[in-house]
Amino acid sequence: MIRVHNLHKSFGTQEVLKGVDLEVEQGRVMVIIGPSGSGKTTLLRCLNLLETPTSGTLRIRDVQLEFRDGRKPKPSEVLALRKKTGMVFQAYYLFPHMTALQNVMEAQVQVLKKSKTDARQIALELLNKVGLGDRADFYPHQLSGGQQQRVGIARAMAMSPDVLLFDEPTSALDPELVGEVLKVMKEIALEGRTMVVVTHEMKFAAEVADRVVLMDEGKIIESGTPDQVLNHPSSERARSFLNRITQREIE
Amino acid sequence: MDERIWNIIVDSFLPLLKAGVAFTVPLTLISFALGLAVAVLTALARLSSIGPLRQLARFYVWIIRGTPLLVQLFIIFYGLPSIGIILDPFPAAVIGFTLSVGAYGSEIVRAAILSIHEGQWEAAYSLGMTRLQALRRIILPQASRVSVPPLANSFISLVKDTSLAATVTYTEMFRTAQQITSTTYEPLIVYTEAGLIYLFFSTILSALQNRLEKRLDRFTAR
Repeated sequence: MIRVHNLHKSFGTQEVLKGVDLEVEQGRVMVIIGPSGSGKTTLLRCLNLLETPTSGTLRIRDVQLEFRDGRKPKPSEVLALRKKTGMVFQAYYLFPHMTALQNVMEAQVQVLKKSKTDARQIALELLNKVGLGDRADFYPHQLSGGQQQRVGIARAMAMSPDVLLFDEPTSALDPELVGEVLKVMKEIALEGRTMVVVTHEMKFAAEVADRVVLMDEGKIIESGTPDQVLNHPSSERARSFLNRITQREIE
Repeated sequence: MDERIWNIIVDSFLPLLKAGVAFTVPLTLISFALGLAVAVLTALARLSSIGPLRQLARFYVWIIRGTPLLVQLFIIFYGLPSIGIILDPFPAAVIGFTLSVGAYGSEIVRAAILSIHEGQWEAAYSLGMTRLQALRRIILPQASRVSVPPLANSFISLVKDTSLAATVTYTEMFRTAQQITSTTYEPLIVYTEAGLIYLFFSTILSALQNRLEKRLDRFTAR
């Protein structure tokens, strides 16, 4: 499904990704963890070209792109790749001038050229699925953070992407709202969606992920099943990161 | 009050109001509508990735902002005939005011577009939208809310600036006032009357601004 090979990304002179290899299979959930500044969000943003990699190759389904010297791919290639991916943002980024329903309909109509009737029906189904059928006509500012994020998930799914990308989807939420978002994500995962999730929620990683990847300083330093990576990491750096996280959760 | 004065007030009111409604208002509306279109295009040019386009937009704003509107109107109406471009007073005035609104307005529109969080672009892009789709459907609707107060400023300024059209022989309200004054010799009364009618127009615009802001506020958090 997704294949990333030797991906590098630099901002100016600072190299944020230092040769990342990654493979995600159809229907699997990959969770990426790691300390802040380790490059995990940048990696995720490279997958739908919100960042242009400096070099390396990226393939999602039948779209394969090669990067050299940070040159931007052709707009048609960018669009082709973005149609394979859907993204859920840390700060939701719902469109504030549209209701929940319109948020989920908008790109179906504009990008997929669906009729408004079809788009509305799909949007309502998805809002029901994330538990917000009764909030369809609310504007984002009338919704809680957790509700907004669930609309964000519905909006991404409305494009029927091959893979859903989650960029720390619960990091901006009040603690009591984290659960409702994770629950929806878990349900989606159980349906066999391909997902790549950047998160600090270790419990989610342990329960839902098929594979966990641990990044540090722009490289993947651990990769394997949740049990392998979270409970039996091989490197010292991985152990110290996981200890810090566990400490914090106990506190 | 002196009956003669009273008669002047009454007799001049209708011609002044008529000139205002028939000439000042259309001149304002047409110039503002065209100016707004120029402003949006200029703002987009300033924000585009094409260098020469950016330079052109910057040059245009530099010229218009850096020279007096009165001088611009004189060049258009009295100057251009020297190179064979002869314009009637009305089109000359519309061109002058449109260029002015376009230049000042472009900075308002540019600032409004830049004020929209980068995440809104990213969300639109992540859904497969092109830059134009993102701009039209996501960014500009939000930017328009931000730009209402400063654009209303420009609009109200324009209502009053149209009095400069008198200098290029366009008989709008102020020039009508001048003509009435030249026969009645009561500048204080006639110009005050004209001023009050300008005030009346501006007040209506302020009220419209309030209503528009309330309408657009339906989606913003308070």
